[in-house]
Amino acid sequence: MNGWHGRLLVIDLTTRTCRTESLSHNRLLTFLGGRGLAVELFQDYAHLDPFSADIPLIFTTGPLSGSGTPASERLCILSRSPLTGTLFDTTAGGSFAYTLKTTGHDGLFISGTSDRPVALRIQPSGIEFLEADSLWGKTTSETIAAFTACSVAAIGPAGENRVLYANIVFSDGDNDGRGGLGAVMGAKNLKAIAVEGDCLTTIAEPFKLELAQQKILRLFRASPAIMGPFGLHEYGTPTFIDLTNQRQMLPTRNFKATHFYGAKDLSGPAIRNALSPQHDSCHDCFIACKKRGGDNQRLPEYSALSHFGPLLNICNLQSVIDANTACREMGLDAISAASTLATQGEITGTFPNPDALKKILSQISHRHKEAKSLSLGSRRLAGESGHPEASMTVKSLELPAFDPRGAIGIALSYCTSSLGGSHVRGHMESSEILRKPVAIDRFSFSGKGRLLKIAEDAHAAYDSMMVCPNAFYAASLEEYAEAVSAVTGHDYSPADLSQIGEKIVNTEQRINRRNGFSVDDDMLPARFFQEKGTSEDNLTLPPLDKNAFSAELLRYYRVRNLDN
Amino acid sequence: MNNELFYYQSKLERDGCGKPGRVAMFTQDDAIAAVGPDDLLDLGKRVIRELGLPALALYEPALPFYNSVIKKVSSGNTIIPTDTETRTFLHDIPFIRKSEFDDNLITRLTEMLGKRKGIMVENLGIITVGPVTLEQAYINASSLFHAVFVKYLLDLHQCGFSSENECEEFNNFRQHWLKPLSYPDPPLRTGLLTNPKDIYNEMTRTGSETVKAHLVDSAFGNISCKSGDVIYISQTGASLDALYGCIDPVPLDNSTTCGITASSELLAHRLIYEQIGDGVILHGHPKFSIIMSMLCDNSDCTEEECWNRCPVVRNCRDVPIVSGEIGAGGLAEKISPVIKNSGRVIVFGHGVFTSGRNFNEAFDAMLQTEVACRDEYFHRNRSNC
Repeated sequence: MNGWHGRLLVIDLTTRTCRTESLSHNRLLTFLGGRGLAVELFQDYAHLDPFSADIPLIFTTGPLSGSGTPASERLCILSRSPLTGTLFDTTAGGSFAYTLKTTGHDGLFISGTSDRPVALRIQPSGIEFLEADSLWGKTTSETIAAFTACSVAAIGPAGENRVLYANIVFSDGDNDGRGGLGAVMGAKNLKAIAVEGDCLTTIAEPFKLELAQQKILRLFRASPAIMGPFGLHEYGTPTFIDLTNQRQMLPTRNFKATHFYGAKDLSGPAIRNALSPQHDSCHDCFIACKKRGGDNQRLPEYSALSHFGPLLNICNLQSVIDANTACREMGLDAISAASTLATQGEITGTFPNPDALKKILSQISHRHKEAKSLSLGSRRLAGESGHPEASMTVKSLELPAFDPRGAIGIALSYCTSSLGGSHVRGHMESSEILRKPVAIDRFSFSGKGRLLKIAEDAHAAYDSMMVCPNAFYAASLEEYAEAVSAVTGHDYSPADLSQIGEKIVNTEQRINRRNGFSVDDDMLPARFFQEKGTSEDNLTLPPLDKNAFSAELLRYYRVRNLDN
Repeated sequence: MNNELFYYQSKLERDGCGKPGRVAMFTQDDAIAAVGPDDLLDLGKRVIRELGLPALALYEPALPFYNSVIKKVSSGNTIIPTDTETRTFLHDIPFIRKSEFDDNLITRLTEMLGKRKGIMVENLGIITVGPVTLEQAYINASSLFHAVFVKYLLDLHQCGFSSENECEEFNNFRQHWLKPLSYPDPPLRTGLLTNPKDIYNEMTRTGSETVKAHLVDSAFGNISCKSGDVIYISQTGASLDALYGCIDPVPLDNSTTCGITASSELLAHRLIYEQIGDGVILHGHPKFSIIMSMLCDNSDCTEEECWNRCPVVRNCRDVPIVSGEIGAGGLAEKISPVIKNSGRVIVFGHGVFTSGRNFNEAFDAMLQTEVACRDEYFHRNRSNC
């Protein structure tokens, strides 16, 4: 089979057994891989409690992994989020996806609960269940260091202690994005997964693939957002700090403001001047948006900078870097952690001292008494404190680093996302902020419902091919359709991929509805309809017009055929 | 929304792309809205409904030789223009011959538009999509026109006419479509500007005049002005005739990354200013300049990617021509040493960069370049014409 191996490794941690399940060609052609395949595999288990033994934790790769197609080595991890209760998938870069595929499997389906801490070592020849008692309690870097010559996915103390927003961290410094899937892994007593292998991805039409790759790279080079002097290759995602601050949509002091006086101290140029970062990249990636400091420490991405910075009223770069590192070591989602602290800061009137962040994050990860409420996330903390209005969440997921008052499409996407308050389903910042593929008026409602639906379908297809979302600041389904067709030998058009994406999104929505979510949950906190953003440089950021917002949301449901 | 439809409809006509009265534009939200002649409206509505996309453009090109472009293709259903816009964004242009029309035409059109940004239909016109906005449908419509124009005139130079009818079409084009190139009235400012407000205003005006003079198509081209430590530059994807609110001030000290939304040619502009100091840079895609840049007399050349790697600086009359691709690692390093002396340079298959001490000089250099290249084209093809 070209592009895929056609094999899923099914692992039962309770019985410590495994088997290889065949993935039919038809199934793979229909769902591609990555997010699509993971959703397909998960459907029958979606109703289960996130910490139940039977709920699977699924890791999937895409058909382009191992083919050399630019920016296509991402991994999907999927289960049910203990933080939100929704179906939850995240993606991670690095080299784990590439290496997992070299074991001869397209994915892992892990269920059951081990009676003792366990780690897995997976190779083409088979799987070992390794005792992990000695690793339990260790940080993610200590855990990863225990394995050699392989890629590793590990949880830290946060996952072990089932902090609701615990992450899974990977050996090259990447982590999965949000939702508490580290806690799901911890509930299974699964400390780490190590993969190594040498199985190659076969390609149906290598010459056509080479042509497709050239088209993609040409667009990357021409893209200011990717390869321009201020783009991701030069500065990484911290390049967005200056832009969102200038556009008055940088979340500040728990979204009480949208412009931060100290942003320039946390910006891409500030990081460059202070640390002279080195380029780093996911496996074989041209964009190389990751950056490392002098001590080889992975530097924060935009969201962590924003949330440990302006959201907490902190402008000390080193404090933000240290907090980000602490999250990685503990296996905590930086966005949720910082947001929860920001919620507490607003409620108590005191934001955390930058010097105290590391200690607080450790206390959260170990669920110490004084931080127990913090370990539950922003919504539950705010509820327990009697101030639900202070929690900036949708479906219990804390909002990321774009203030919704600054862009209507982004605001809508926070509501419609099956994950909760996340921008990654539609990446509307691409056109509303970065002008790619074309600039759209960020303050206009006109047509945003349909545009969002189209963007969500496209990104579902990208996530199923496991292509990095950064690629779509330049390329599109048109170019990647040619690549995936050349790899698999199946003739996909952009329209075909969009239809696959639509099916995936609609399936996710149905799963959430069956789990009790409704349109009532698809709404932003009241603050964004009642309070204006910061006004600077003759730009006033009014509150969102709730009537117009709701009307556009209805239009979205109609376009997506969800209004029944 | 109707205002926007009328705006892009008249823009395609004003740009010289669409025949007057034969341009239809479509948008789709929870209903389809459209403007244009009835026969095109009927077809377009069916196509956009099938596609499910937000926007579509369907127009009859104002090029008398349009159908000849398709007729000249002996086999297959794709033309592959080699100009930079096509290479980077369009990739290739599928088409349908009139003889292939059948009951499945709508399905076929939808299938083809599901794969590419635009297609050609013999005896009908050009159809393009806007996956996000109506502006995209317009940009693709204009780009396709540009690609077809450049390809036809290149092929004509290389192969001549294939029929008397084609010769007649071409003469029609020369007499009626081609207009004399003219200067703005009143003229652009000649002084060196330092006040940001003046700079923004004159950049906006110069951009408009560049479009009016047909020296750039759709949302391509860019303009900048350097004053002191700041380069004021048009944003990426901004139309030169709609620059209000679309100009980024980029400090030379890299103290901010707000310039991430600046033109993709920012690096080229910076390197040019390192050579010339304060001034103005204008970049357009004038068609005859592009065509002439692609006519190379070196029959012994073995370089396969000459549009990107040719090490030689050629000339069309006294205008230098260099190779290079858009963006990182491309044309920026090749343009700057050449433009310092000449004030203008053509990039193979791509467009023209001009520099000047002020807006008038930069515009004048662009206009003169296109005049020279247009004259040279017809001089070299006098036996054809």
